Amino acid sequence: MGQFLFSFFAVFSALCAAGVVVCKNVVNAAMCLLLCLLGVAALFIRLDAFLLAFLLLLVYAGAVVALFLFIVMLLDTRGQEAPQARRGLTVAPRVVAIALVGAGIASLALRGRLVAPAAAAVPAVGASLKAYAYLLFTTYLLPVEIISFLLLIAMLGVIVLSRREGEHSGYGN
Amino acid sequence: MLPETLNSYVLLSAVLFGVGFLGVLVRRNTLVIYMCLELMLVASTLALVAFSRFNGTMEGNVFVFFILTVAAAEVAVGLAIVVALFRRTQTVRVDRLDSLKN
Amino acid sequence: MAPSHLAFLVLAVPAASAGFIALFLRRQGGLASAVSVLAALAVAAGAGWLSLHGPRFEASREWLRLGGLTVSFGINFDDLAALMLAIVALVGLCVHVFSLGYMRDDEAKARYFGGLSIFMFSMIGIVLADNLFMMFIFWELVGFSSWLLINHWYERPSAAAAAKKAFIVNRVGDFGFLLGIILCYHLRGTVNLTDLAAQASSGAAPFSRAIPLLLFCGAVGKSAQLPLQVWLPDAMEGPSPVSALIHAATMVAAGIYMLCRIQVLMVNPALTVIMWVGTATALYAALCAIVQSDIKRVLAYSTLSQLGYMVAAFGMGTYFQPQADGSYHTASGVSAAMFHLTTHACFKALLFLGAGSVIYGCHHEQDIFKMGGLAGRMKLTFVTFTIGVAAIIGFPFLAGFFSKDAILALAFSSNRAVFALLALTAILTAFYMVRLWKIVFFGATRSEAAAHAHEGGGVLTGPLVVLGALSVVAGWRRFYPAAFAGILNNVPEAEGRAHGIVLGVSLTVLLIGAGAAWAFYGVSGPDALELRAPGLFRALGALQQCFDRCYGWYVAKVQQRLAMALNFLDVIGLSGLVVRGTAGLAGLAGLGVRALHVGRINAYVYWFLGGVALLWLFAAGIL
Repeated sequence: MGQFLFSFFAVFSALCAAGVVVCKNVVNAAMCLLLCLLGVAALFIRLDAFLLAFLLLLVYAGAVVALFLFIVMLLDTRGQEAPQARRGLTVAPRVVAIALVGAGIASLALRGRLVAPAAAAVPAVGASLKAYAYLLFTTYLLPVEIISFLLLIAMLGVIVLSRREGEHSGYGN
Repeated sequence: MLPETLNSYVLLSAVLFGVGFLGVLVRRNTLVIYMCLELMLVASTLALVAFSRFNGTMEGNVFVFFILTVAAAEVAVGLAIVVALFRRTQTVRVDRLDSLKN
Repeated sequence: MAPSHLAFLVLAVPAASAGFIALFLRRQGGLASAVSVLAALAVAAGAGWLSLHGPRFEASREWLRLGGLTVSFGINFDDLAALMLAIVALVGLCVHVFSLGYMRDDEAKARYFGGLSIFMFSMIGIVLADNLFMMFIFWELVGFSSWLLINHWYERPSAAAAAKKAFIVNRVGDFGFLLGIILCYHLRGTVNLTDLAAQASSGAAPFSRAIPLLLFCGAVGKSAQLPLQVWLPDAMEGPSPVSALIHAATMVAAGIYMLCRIQVLMVNPALTVIMWVGTATALYAALCAIVQSDIKRVLAYSTLSQLGYMVAAFGMGTYFQPQADGSYHTASGVSAAMFHLTTHACFKALLFLGAGSVIYGCHHEQDIFKMGGLAGRMKLTFVTFTIGVAAIIGFPFLAGFFSKDAILALAFSSNRAVFALLALTAILTAFYMVRLWKIVFFGATRSEAAAHAHEGGGVLTGPLVVLGALSVVAGWRRFYPAAFAGILNNVPEAEGRAHGIVLGVSLTVLLIGAGAAWAFYGVSGPDALELRAPGLFRALGALQQCFDRCYGWYVAKVQQRLAMALNFLDVIGLSGLVVRGTAGLAGLAGLGVRALHVGRINAYVYWFLGGVALLWLFAAGIL
C-alpha cells in the first residue's frame, strides 16, 4: 500500500512540475504548481514529517501560490504573451539544456547508490511534534530569532518597494 | 511500482529540481520563472526530509522549517520587485528586461 | 693641498665651468667667455704646478661594482700624464684667449665656451685616467664635445653633416676600442693600467694579438688614421680655434696618448700593423693636401700626415722591455711619438690660430686663391705663421726639425722601406706647406676681402706670439724641465754614420720640397698644378675623394637597406605584432567578455547551467 502511494504521488508530482514548465497560461502554471505542492505534501506525510506537510500546505500552497496569483492578476500580462517570431537560438539552447539536465538526472540514477536502511527499521523521530518544538526552542533558538528578524526585514522591504514614485517620503527628495 | 528507498526519494527530488531548472531556463515570463524557482526549493526540501527520515535524525526536518520561512520572505520581496519593475517598464517578460546589456 | 686633490680640481674646474654656463649663463655670452677663460687659466696654473713640481702619484676610488667587475675612478699621474697635461693646459689656454677675440661677434658665445669647457674636462679626464674603462668614458665625452663644437654654426647644413660624420666615424673606431677593453678584461682580468704593466713585467701575461689591435681601432678613429680619416677634413666646418684645439693639438693626439699608455700590451705583429697604418696615412694625407684650396683643409691634411708620423714612430720603436725591478724603460717609440706630439701641438696650434687670424682679417674668407699679399698687411700673423711653416717642414733648429729627425732616425734603424716613405712624405709636406705660405702671403691681393685685411688685435695675436716662441724652443730638449725627462729621455738619435745620413736626408727633402713649391707656384692666378698637369691634379683629387665615395656607396647600398629591413621588422614585428598585437589580444578578450553581458537573465542562467554541468562532471568523476 505504502509503495503504491509513494509511486503514485511521485509520478503525480513530477507530472505537475512538468506542467508548470510547459503551460503557456500563467494561471495554469500556478495551478500546476499547487498540485505539485499537494503531491509533495503527501510524500512528506509518507515520510512521517506531518508538521512539515501541513506547513507546506499552509505556507506554500496557501500563502505563496495565492500571492503569485494575486500578482498575476494585478499585472496585466495577457497582451504580452503573444508569440513572437522565433529567434534562431531558442531551439538549440533548449535542446542543450534538456540534454544537460537529463544527463545529470540519469547519472544520478545510474551511479548514485545511497546506502540506507529500510524505512521501517528506522524510528520516525520527526513524527513527534513535541520533539520538534523542543529542538526549535533549545538547539535552534538562534536561527529562529534570526528568521523572525528576516521576516521583519522582508516586510519592511516590501513596503518600501511598493511605494509609488513621486510619493512624499520622509527622507529628502 | 517504484521501490520506496532513499534512492528513489533523492532521485525524485533531482527530477523535480531538474524540471524546475529547465523552467527557469526556457520560460520568458518572470512570474513563471519565479514559480519554477519555488519548485526547485521544494525539491530540495523533499531531499532533506528524506535524508532526515532514513537516517533517523531531526536536523533535516528543522532545516526544512527554516527553508520554508525563508522562501516565504523571498517570495514576498521578489514579487514586490516584480511589481515595481512592471510599473517602470510595463513588462514582465525577461527578454525585454535587458537594460544591463553591455 | 695634496696632489691628488689638486689633480681632481684640475679635472673638475672645467666641468664646473661648463655646468655653470649651461645652467645660468645661456644668454650672457660675455660672462660665459670670462668664466671659461678663468677656468682655463686655473687649469693651466694647476696643471703647470703639478707637472713641473708635483710628485708623481696614483689615486683611485671604486665607483661601480657589478659582480666580479669593478669600475674605478682614478688618477694615474706619471711622467707621460704630466707631459700631456701640460700640453693640453697650455694649448687650451692659448685657444681660450684667442677665442675671446675670434668669437667676439658671435651670437652663441655661451654655447661655444661651454663646449670648450666640456672639452677641457673630457680631455683632462683621458689624460689622467688610470684604467681603460674610465678612459673610454672620457673618450666618448671628448667625441661629444667635438660634435658640439664642430656643430657650432649648426644652421649650416654642411656643419651639421660634418659633426654627425665626425661622431659616427669616431663611433666606429670606438666600437673596436670597446671590444678591445672587453677582451682585455676577459683575458687579463683587469683594465687598470698599472696592474697590466705589473702583469707584463712579471711575464705572466697571455699573448694576444687581438687586444692591442682592437685598442688601436680606437686610435684609428680618434686620431684619424686610414681608413677612418674621412672625418677630420670635414671637421674644419667648426670655428678655427676649435680646429686648433681639438683637431690639431689635443683630441686627435689622444689616440697617440692612448697608444703610449697601452704600450705594455703591445706585441710585435700588432706593432707592424700600426707602423704600416701610420705610414700609409702620412703618405696619403700628404698627397691629398697638395690639391686643397681651403686654408684649413690644407692644415687638416697636414695634421693627418703628422699623426701618421707619430703612429708610425710608435709602431717602430715600442718593444716593451721590463726591467728586473718591475719598472719598465720607456720605449724609444713612445718617446719619439710623444716628442713629436709635443712639438706638433705647438706649431699646429700656431698654424691653425694663424689661419684663424687670416680668416678673421679677410672677413671670414677661407679660399687661399682669394687671399694673397697678406705679408704686408698682417705682419705679426705673417711672422708667426712663417715660424709655424718652418717648424713643420723641419727647418733646422726649429721644433719640427728635431722631432722629425728623431722619427726618421728610428725608421732608418728599423725599417728602410718605411724610412723611404716617410722621407717622401717629408718632401710632400714641405711642398704643400710652402705652397700654402706663398699663395696666402705673397704677391698681389687676389680679392677685395684680402685687400682690406688687418690684424685682429692683441687678443688674437698674443697667443700667436706665445705659440710661436714655443715652436722655436720646443725642439731643444735641454730646455725641457727635468720633470719630463722620464718620457723624453729615450728619444732616438742616430749614431755615427747613420746620423749623417739621416741629417742629410732631412735637409735634402726640405730643400727639394720647399724649392719645388716656391718655383712651381706662381703668386697669382689659379692653382699651377691644375693648370699645367690637370691629369695629376684630378688624380690626386680622386684619391682624396675615394674614401668618401666608398663609404657613401656602402651607406647607401648596404647599410640603408639593412636599416630599412630592420625598420620593417620593427614596425611590423615589434610595434605591430608584439606591442599592438598584445593590446589587440587584450581588446579582443575584452570584447569577448563584453559580449557575454547581454543583460538578459535567461542568458545568465544558461551560463549558470554551464557551471553546474561542469561541477557535476567534476563530482561524477568524469573530469
